[in-house]
Amino acid sequence: MSIDFYWRIGMEGDHASLRTPRRYNRGDAGGYGPGNIAPAIRNGELDGYGYIDHMAAVAKASESAGFLGGLLPSFPMTDDPWATAAALAAETTTYRFMVAFQPGFLHPLQAARMSASLQRATGGRLVYNIISGGGGAPQLWWGDKVDHDDRYTRTSEFLDVLRGVWDGRPFDFDGRFFRTEGAALPPGLAGQPFPEVYFSGSSGAAVAAAGRHADYYLSWLEPYADLRAKFDGVREHSAKLGRTPKFAVRIDVVARHTEEAAWAEIEKGWAFVDKGAADRAAQGDSVGAARIKGWVPEHITGYRDLEVQPNVWCGFSLIRGGPAFGLVGSYEQVAERLDELRELGVDAFILAGNPHLEEAYRVGEEVLPLLQRQPLPIFGQDTP
Amino acid sequence: MTDFYWELPSRGDGRRVASGLNTRGGFGADRPVTVATDPRPGKLGPFDELAQVIHAAELSGVDGVIAPYDPSGEESWVVAAAALRQTRHARVAVEFHPAFGTPVYAAKMSATLQRLSGGRLEWRLKVGTDPADARARGDRVTGRNRYARADEFLTVARGVWNDSEVLPGGFGGTGYDFAGNHYDVIDGGFRGILSGLPFPVVHLTGNSDEAVRLSAKHGDVHQFMLTDTGYETSARTLADRALEQGRSVRKLLRLPIIARETTDEAWARVERLWREAHPDGVSGDSRALARENSQWSGFDRLGYDQPIGLIGSYEDVARELSSFRDIDGFVLTGRPHIEELHRAGEHLLHLVDPAGRTLAGQEVHA
Repeated sequence: MSIDFYWRIGMEGDHASLRTPRRYNRGDAGGYGPGNIAPAIRNGELDGYGYIDHMAAVAKASESAGFLGGLLPSFPMTDDPWATAAALAAETTTYRFMVAFQPGFLHPLQAARMSASLQRATGGRLVYNIISGGGGAPQLWWGDKVDHDDRYTRTSEFLDVLRGVWDGRPFDFDGRFFRTEGAALPPGLAGQPFPEVYFSGSSGAAVAAAGRHADYYLSWLEPYADLRAKFDGVREHSAKLGRTPKFAVRIDVVARHTEEAAWAEIEKGWAFVDKGAADRAAQGDSVGAARIKGWVPEHITGYRDLEVQPNVWCGFSLIRGGPAFGLVGSYEQVAERLDELRELGVDAFILAGNPHLEEAYRVGEEVLPLLQRQPLPIFGQDTP
Repeated sequence: MTDFYWELPSRGDGRRVASGLNTRGGFGADRPVTVATDPRPGKLGPFDELAQVIHAAELSGVDGVIAPYDPSGEESWVVAAAALRQTRHARVAVEFHPAFGTPVYAAKMSATLQRLSGGRLEWRLKVGTDPADARARGDRVTGRNRYARADEFLTVARGVWNDSEVLPGGFGGTGYDFAGNHYDVIDGGFRGILSGLPFPVVHLTGNSDEAVRLSAKHGDVHQFMLTDTGYETSARTLADRALEQGRSVRKLLRLPIIARETTDEAWARVERLWREAHPDGVSGDSRALARENSQWSGFDRLGYDQPIGLIGSYEDVARELSSFRDIDGFVLTGRPHIEELHRAGEHLLHLVDPAGRTLAGQEVHA
């Protein structure tokens, strides 16, 4: 069975190195300055390239480095992944666009139309990363005052409607959040493959909703035993519904030719540690963020305190934005840890590293080929 | 300077009246497989044909294209994003209904598109849709309330938008609060890369009193259609209402056109399409729908969404377009789009707008 490997696009800008303060100098997220890439300065003027051009470069790099596609995450302060995927659709050939979105902000019929058109534009390369929101101030910023558990009810209804209209036959629905009468995709748009659903959320409400809708239950990386327990819970819940979701993990990777070189990279990043980051991330009602906070020790004497098991390090959120856990080690070690996750039942990976462009090549060329794979058929032997 | 927009096709394209016979863009029936068929993989996808139309618009020098809201066609935001990425100069107006989602989300998607296009995105907000579409969307808002919701929508979208650059601030907003009948925002507002961008130019449509009132308050541009009763009364009301608020709204006229080298050639084209639409011949003479000044009121019978458009030689059509003295520009369309775009770009636009479309000091021969 093949395992799907995605490589994230850094929509927040691209941090050129963990060795520098959090300055996103790919794109204009961190302002324009010396060494900025896309837009860059030529003869004292902006050169007309934009961050979209860098995102296109990351997509193309991921495609040629062997990844199936990439996650386009969604945050209040970044570009929008639907608009970005639509803009870049024509510039890749096999790259899948995993669009992250919150179901509350779009009408499901609108989402169905956008999705079907994107499937037509890409030849069926759209994937969903359904997120139901982390709560707190950012949720209100979006204009969303729906409570935590209700957001998952809304997500469930949203996906019911989206699937209901997809085949082009008139669909009626009367829910708490959405209502449709005779809604359907038009004949020209119907008949596209339905996007695979990656579903995120760690709470009971999330697991319940995931059981009904997830093709892949997506989690941040956690210590392996905790991850196994979490997956078992999802498996158990889904089994009651007669469903068997697959599992996916989102992992940051620092892989180098030696273990020492990889940790040296982390050590240089540790010079810019921000110890309050985990507290701030846990301010909303996100259960996933609260879980992470539980693993970060109260007193940290150095970066190696955060290696919770070999090569599994939970300090990433302290040296750059984003989730806490990632893998740090030699190419071989990282490949072994990924293989262990496969044995634990992981069917798909969303990997990331800074800077996203160069690390896509590094991980694609150095780590992925080391993964234990089904031996390829030898030409002439299997074919009549 | 006269503004020219071109309305893009949203459900395929071709030279025939019956949509089922128009196979460009992946709508309609499959093309028949013959000895001339190239079976090798990697042929065009639906958006490759649409991209050619967009490219033709850019090469023809039209100022902007419109991606229409069409429940039966391609989704307009996907079309608009692709169009902006494929062009350097053309403005792209995305048409959508306020109930598509929240105004914050519309503004968010728009900020991305403004960034990647250098500020070329525009909005055409479609407030009313046909009853079947409203039912399908489960839209509980009807009648005049649709305009009240659109008013809130535009208010919130502008409210979270910051034209001037605001320093990044993580997940923080810029203190914009709104508590309305339809939308709620607490400490919203765009910062960092989402700030310092121009808010999309807002186009609105419709001749009703509510439509004109909304446009006077929020519209930058109002698009009128030619009707039997004319657009002039609505246009004057709009100007007066806008002036009361210290505003002005630009006026565009939407028109399908068939323009050819000679008047006879243009009519020959109409007649061929008319025969295709009425193969039994019972609907009478197409010429019976001719009005004064090269106007013809049968375009809706040929698959267009409005009846009245222009037919004639390039000079006829240019003369008629130039006669609308109170109009700031036009939204034209015609099928097949690539061919008609090139005709308009090469033969028509400079006749209507010589000052904007010829090099200074150069004489126009036509």
